[in-house]
Amino acid sequence: MSEKKLVNIPFNRVEGDLEIRVEMDGGVVSDAWCSGTMYRGFEKILIGRGALDGLVITPRICGICSTAHLTAAALALDMVAGINPPPDATRIRNIVLMTEHIQSDIRHAFLMFAPDFLNTIHKDCVLYDEAGYRYEPFKGKTSVEVIKETKNVLEIIAIIGGQWPHSSYMVPGGIVSVPSVSDLMQCQLILRKYRQWYERKILGCTIERWESIKNAADLQTWLEESKEHWKSDLGFFIRFARAVGLDKIGRGHGSFIAYGYPGSKEIEQSQSIPSAGFATIKEKYIFDQSKIAEEVDYSWFQDYKDGKHPFEGETHPYASGKEGKKYSWGKAPRYDGFPVETGPMAEMIINQSPLFTDIMTRNGPSAFLREMARLVRPTILIPIMEKYLEETVGDGKFYIAPESIIEGRGFGLTQAGRGCLGHWVEITNGSISHYQIITPTAWNASPRDSKGIRGPIEEALTGTEVKDIENPVELGHIIRSFDPCLVCTVHAVKKGQTSEPFRWRLTL
Amino acid sequence: MQKNLYWMQCGGCGGDSMSLLNHDSPDILEALSILNIEMLWHPSMSNASPRNHRELIEKITSGEQPLDILCVEGSIIRGPGGTGMYDLFDGKPKKDLVSQMARQAQFVIAIGTCAAFGGIGADGEVESTGLQFHKSKKGGFLGENFKTKSGFPVINIPGCPCHCNTIIGSLQAMIYKVPLALNEYNAPLEWYGIMVHQGCVRNEYHEYRVEENKFGERGCLFFHLGCRGPLTSGPCNKKLWNGLNSKTRVGVPCFGCTNPDFPQSQPFFQTPNIVDIPIELPAGIDRAHYLAYKGMAAAAAPDRLKRRDTRI
Repeated sequence: MSEKKLVNIPFNRVEGDLEIRVEMDGGVVSDAWCSGTMYRGFEKILIGRGALDGLVITPRICGICSTAHLTAAALALDMVAGINPPPDATRIRNIVLMTEHIQSDIRHAFLMFAPDFLNTIHKDCVLYDEAGYRYEPFKGKTSVEVIKETKNVLEIIAIIGGQWPHSSYMVPGGIVSVPSVSDLMQCQLILRKYRQWYERKILGCTIERWESIKNAADLQTWLEESKEHWKSDLGFFIRFARAVGLDKIGRGHGSFIAYGYPGSKEIEQSQSIPSAGFATIKEKYIFDQSKIAEEVDYSWFQDYKDGKHPFEGETHPYASGKEGKKYSWGKAPRYDGFPVETGPMAEMIINQSPLFTDIMTRNGPSAFLREMARLVRPTILIPIMEKYLEETVGDGKFYIAPESIIEGRGFGLTQAGRGCLGHWVEITNGSISHYQIITPTAWNASPRDSKGIRGPIEEALTGTEVKDIENPVELGHIIRSFDPCLVCTVHAVKKGQTSEPFRWRLTL
Repeated sequence: MQKNLYWMQCGGCGGDSMSLLNHDSPDILEALSILNIEMLWHPSMSNASPRNHRELIEKITSGEQPLDILCVEGSIIRGPGGTGMYDLFDGKPKKDLVSQMARQAQFVIAIGTCAAFGGIGADGEVESTGLQFHKSKKGGFLGENFKTKSGFPVINIPGCPCHCNTIIGSLQAMIYKVPLALNEYNAPLEWYGIMVHQGCVRNEYHEYRVEENKFGERGCLFFHLGCRGPLTSGPCNKKLWNGLNSKTRVGVPCFGCTNPDFPQSQPFFQTPNIVDIPIELPAGIDRAHYLAYKGMAAAAAPDRLKRRDTRI
């Protein structure tokens, strides 16, 4: 009989906001618990504040995706006000949101994910030295370029919104700024420059060439077709990931959601944008936000019966650290009762990307596929942004003033860099009376639900073979493939030991 | 001589670190190299193994490893009930580690409003506070009398986020031993001795009291839309953000994010008024003179401004 033990191992690039505990059975993870180390109380801070205050307060939840929070907050207030922003305001909102994504995707891939390639566990891999040359923090050739180029593309956000991070230029009814013709032209130049760098350095080909890849066989052909493809950072990522088996770990539940990007009839006529949906590996379904509910059976919050839709949601933290089976500051969001993962790979599946659907059907989800989706998401977003920039009329109509916002409720759903982000707000007598937020990491790093079913990251870790439990980099790769919007820790305790209270900064 | 730096994140969003990555000419990597700073640890940039990180912390807190500069980003979370259990590191309240580290450092910098004054959460159940101030009151987490090993108080660089030039500039001043005068909140006057309003391209609107009543009109945001620029110190309109712009320049009111009371309790996007005159006037102004001047200025406003012909 194999000996089971509980393991709590620290992880690097950490300040300890997320902790993962795993149970090891022999060399394999037999169970996992995902918990957070910080509670910031945002949902309660908002109660009683001015109706528009979510536009200023919620971007401060996350310095990495502040534009996404602003988008969700503005969309929720659009609904409360019963107003449709002018089409050009929606275009601009999306351009800015997508700018945040295309910088975040590349920063995550090369400043957060790829440095784990340098872990000594991979030292026998023939590509190990090259990984160091490319991704060593502060020095690697790619790391240095990524810092320069991602900084530059953020100038688009500053032109429209004044600064990044933490602007509040979206308001119910549109945006406050009036981008001029020259502002939009400047954005085009900056985007074009980023695209050229991304094509040359990251893809090794044009976006159009990448788009012609429809299945796993095409991908192999592309990889071997030229030196540029083979040696690009994407080409290197694919080779390294396969060499160390990232395509065989981190499967997860195989259920996905995406909220899509804010749209309107007018802008969708000219442009197809990634849409909302719920999917399994085989089927895609229509998305219905009323099927979202959060449970707290395993979370450090006062119990309530069944799951609650965010309009009815409660946030009452326990004052002590420990309480029975509870182990996380995160609630457990469920869609129609299912734990679901969200992020670029979910977007690809829900939007029926031929390449990702083909690989998913053959091999299922994996850490490799999840991270590759992030790396190539700019191939989808950049062309949409370019089209929007062409369509938007400088000095045009970007705002419709709503009536005063006194009463009502609304929700704002958007794709953030890491997946589905939703805000649910209720306004009473001109003040916020209710605010609930579900972040992408709340979905992915969810604890167990009322039925005891694991959250997506917990499930993805289960069954993973770990070579050296003192250095469980395989688990690190899986966790990072979800890009948790927090730096995270894995801790290990032998079975029988009392585990410390563990928790995460689930941002809220 | 090389100086080392340890960067801690506490109750915050990481936005100041993101702001730091905006630094241009030199970029952040070049700046660290030029200033000869050894980054012992930054939570989102370092690649030291967890074991090494833990050993490093032990060495610093025991005094075996000298620490030149400690940067703290995010508020000190003391809740619930003063236990600090809402923010843990390695199973223990992170606030305790902050205290141990601060006592070993030659310099301590509070990066951003949360670390300086408590910021978001200072009035909330998480019981956030700043390193040496609680909002505008001296004391905070480390206490009014705290001094670093080199005899300095905590240097505050407020802002939500703080501007990247204030971070690099403060580090440079420490390393090159350039004396920086501080304001009453221990923030360097170099960056906090100017108002956000100064340098705003909408100043002509303010001058002639051409007001913005609803968003997108192009006008001064101070009178109706809650702009705190004339009441807030900071380099936003001098150093500019991402090298080229600021919120007020595009029509987003200043939210006063460098102020000790940020986030203010009154609603954002509106200016409390009495008969159309803001209750709070620009810092240091005589009310009677201001009212007389603004009345005349509005009458003297040029037509091109009143028609909003300009693209400002």
